[in-house]
Amino acid sequence: MIESYLLHIGILIAIYIILGVSLNLALGFTGLLNLGHVAFFGIGAYTSALLLKAGVSFIMAFFISGLIAAIFGFLLVLATRKLKGDYLALATLGFSFVIYSLMLNLTELTRGPLGIPGIPKPVIFGFKISGLLPYFIFVTILAVITVFLIYKIVKSPFGRLLQGVRDDEIGLKVLGKDTFKLKAKSMMLSAFFAGIAGSLFASYITYIDPSSFSLAEIILIFTIVIVGGIASIKGTIVATFIIILIPEALRFLYLPSTVLGPLRQIFYALILLGILLYRPKGLFGRIDLE
Amino acid sequence: MILEAHEITKNFGGVRALNKCSLGIKKNKITALIGPNGSGKTTLFDVISRLIKPNSGFIKFKQERIDKFRPNKVAKMGISRTFQDPRLFKNLTIKDHFMMALSTNDESMFAKEKDVEWKIKEIMNLIGLTKPLHTLGSDLSYGQRKLLDLGVALAKPHDLLMLDEPVAGVNPKLRKQIKKIIQNLNKKGETVFLIEHDMNFVMDLVDHIFVLDAGEVIASGKPKQIQNNKKVLDAYLGE
Amino acid sequence: MAFNIFVQLLVNSLIAGSIYALVASGFSLIYSTSRFMHFAHGVSVVIGAYMLFQMYSLLHIPFLISCILVLIITGLFGYLMYKGIYSPLMKRKSSSIVLLIASVGLLILFENLILMAYGADVKTIGYIKGVHVIKFLGAVITPLQLVIIIASVLLLVLLWLFMHKIRIGRDMRAVADNPELSEIMGLNSKKIMALAFILGTVMAGFAGILIGMEQNLEPTMGMGLMIKGFTGAVIGGITSVPAAVLGSYIIGGAENFGVWFLPSGYKNAITFLLLFLFLLFKPTGLFGLNKGVKK
Repeated sequence: MIESYLLHIGILIAIYIILGVSLNLALGFTGLLNLGHVAFFGIGAYTSALLLKAGVSFIMAFFISGLIAAIFGFLLVLATRKLKGDYLALATLGFSFVIYSLMLNLTELTRGPLGIPGIPKPVIFGFKISGLLPYFIFVTILAVITVFLIYKIVKSPFGRLLQGVRDDEIGLKVLGKDTFKLKAKSMMLSAFFAGIAGSLFASYITYIDPSSFSLAEIILIFTIVIVGGIASIKGTIVATFIIILIPEALRFLYLPSTVLGPLRQIFYALILLGILLYRPKGLFGRIDLE
Repeated sequence: MILEAHEITKNFGGVRALNKCSLGIKKNKITALIGPNGSGKTTLFDVISRLIKPNSGFIKFKQERIDKFRPNKVAKMGISRTFQDPRLFKNLTIKDHFMMALSTNDESMFAKEKDVEWKIKEIMNLIGLTKPLHTLGSDLSYGQRKLLDLGVALAKPHDLLMLDEPVAGVNPKLRKQIKKIIQNLNKKGETVFLIEHDMNFVMDLVDHIFVLDAGEVIASGKPKQIQNNKKVLDAYLGE
Repeated sequence: MAFNIFVQLLVNSLIAGSIYALVASGFSLIYSTSRFMHFAHGVSVVIGAYMLFQMYSLLHIPFLISCILVLIITGLFGYLMYKGIYSPLMKRKSSSIVLLIASVGLLILFENLILMAYGADVKTIGYIKGVHVIKFLGAVITPLQLVIIIASVLLLVLLWLFMHKIRIGRDMRAVADNPELSEIMGLNSKKIMALAFILGTVMAGFAGILIGMEQNLEPTMGMGLMIKGFTGAVIGGITSVPAAVLGSYIIGGAENFGVWFLPSGYKNAITFLLLFLFLLFKPTGLFGLNKGVKK
């Protein structure tokens, strides 16, 4: 019992590490104020779920879900390329609302609020990953790969340019760098990893509906990144553990689930407000959010 | 002529910042663009580097029209520039600044680059910037930021160096130092195009002067000729 | 026949627009003085509606007194949000993005507090019971809906008079127009910002009362209302209260006439799409000034 509970938490932590670190790539390292990250997560989850149900192999579905999310990432950057600051933040938030309402309303495809049940577990080279422990190992490996790749990206010359975009876009243009391409690449990478996180989530839960990709979810991912610190991968990882684990302690108060859900949200909101008020750079960050 | 601006006009709302402004920059020379505040000097720089789109007129650089290019393309063509208020990356180190300027392939995700610290040291020596390479942009003083901005523009591959008020707001000692740097650069064959507000600073430094007033070139010539030009004196005194 | 439908949709647009306009005017009032997007404004409306439920339906306080209490509570709530969260953040010179994120945090916080206190099930206030229907050019409208339209228009006119005819209102507009200059001229911009928060949130309280009388209450309705009000403000022009009001009526119209062509499930999607399109192509709005967009 307790073992499967811990594995469940472990799987969630791994998925949220992928989400958090990928958001930090766009938000923290490139300065793209994206409040629509959860939309990529949702796009990935739905793409993967629909493909798997149509009989596509997991590996295909997994990568295609990342690619489709990346395409949306590109469209988002293309559409918002002239916006800055809160207007960019709101346009991206609007984007996630549009995606959310599409999930609700494109009923022929998504079945709307009924959601998609019976999403198959991954089968890789004939191995079916169905138990909790194998899934935990599988997701953890992917989370480690994601963190490793994003770490490599930010430490590379390319990552240095992304940080240049964040600090001074015009300064970078006069050095001859194509800042639009840089932003597009960063957002597409960020969206790709959010998309595969969605694929992993869908196959784990085996049932998705639009409510998993709502505003509350944006707040959770954002809280993770801000608590950990802008442009700190280590921070995001540590923060994921803190933010996912602490509310789990509430579970042992044996509260009814109607109270537990809101209580968890209240916890996220309080942590977010507390960090903004008392430690705006987060636990490990060096950089202010601007 | 390495750079030609031909009848550039730029309006901001109802204000005409540049009015049929034409000028040409000769290779291996130091050219100054002077004029009172608000005469449109920086606007012209911004039009050349394409940060601002002109309403009419065109720009030729190395015999090629560049006014339809994007700013990064113009920069890649070989125009380096600085800003009156230096644009730096406050969370990146001095070394990062130089590496970005020197590197030509870092827009690819898989770029590999050699460590060219010696090259960076060389440029830092040339401009007299003595801070450690790991210092962050935000930890530099105003004068040091001016120097780093100049150094980065130098490090970037270029054929024309455009400096927007290189000595604005710096102390007299640094002023002399920067003047010396510009002279040395010119001796090495650099083509320099600079904006300066103070006429005296450019008199013994440059080969050619253009005077801008209210968005129009009102005079051009050797420093001596400009010094005694009545129109120029009026423009400055009427300020 | 088609004419009947047209009039009915027009009436529906006016009802929806009136409610959105109340939300948008408060939001825009706060935005124009403090220059950040106070997203938690949506939850102020919900608090207004639930307080009315608490006072009138649970405690059986007479209706008018309940309403006055609701307005006092929401005004106080606005002040506390400003004093407790925003003002300390502004003191640290936090960027408008940080304030925006904090406001989303506040929205989530209070939405869930209401959820815990009152449960997720739908509440009805039931102030006006029996349904008398007024027929008007073939359209159907209830007296309550008529009250909503008239009350909103009245309130918006009052707000306009306040802003333009009373000194403190003029001071608010001065701060909205140029905070630095107002400071130099001796206006206390902090006090005026606090006042904008109180006034804006009282407007939200009004909206809450009217919504509470007309619709069922749900703890999560704040976000939806906020998006409508916000979209109205963006379409009109976020820095100007009258423009935001006009924009809100446009939203009401677009939504209701949109269902002529699209299934009604797309009612919200129409708003989101408009919001997105305006942010992309005309972030200053239809009637707004070219201010606050480019920094």
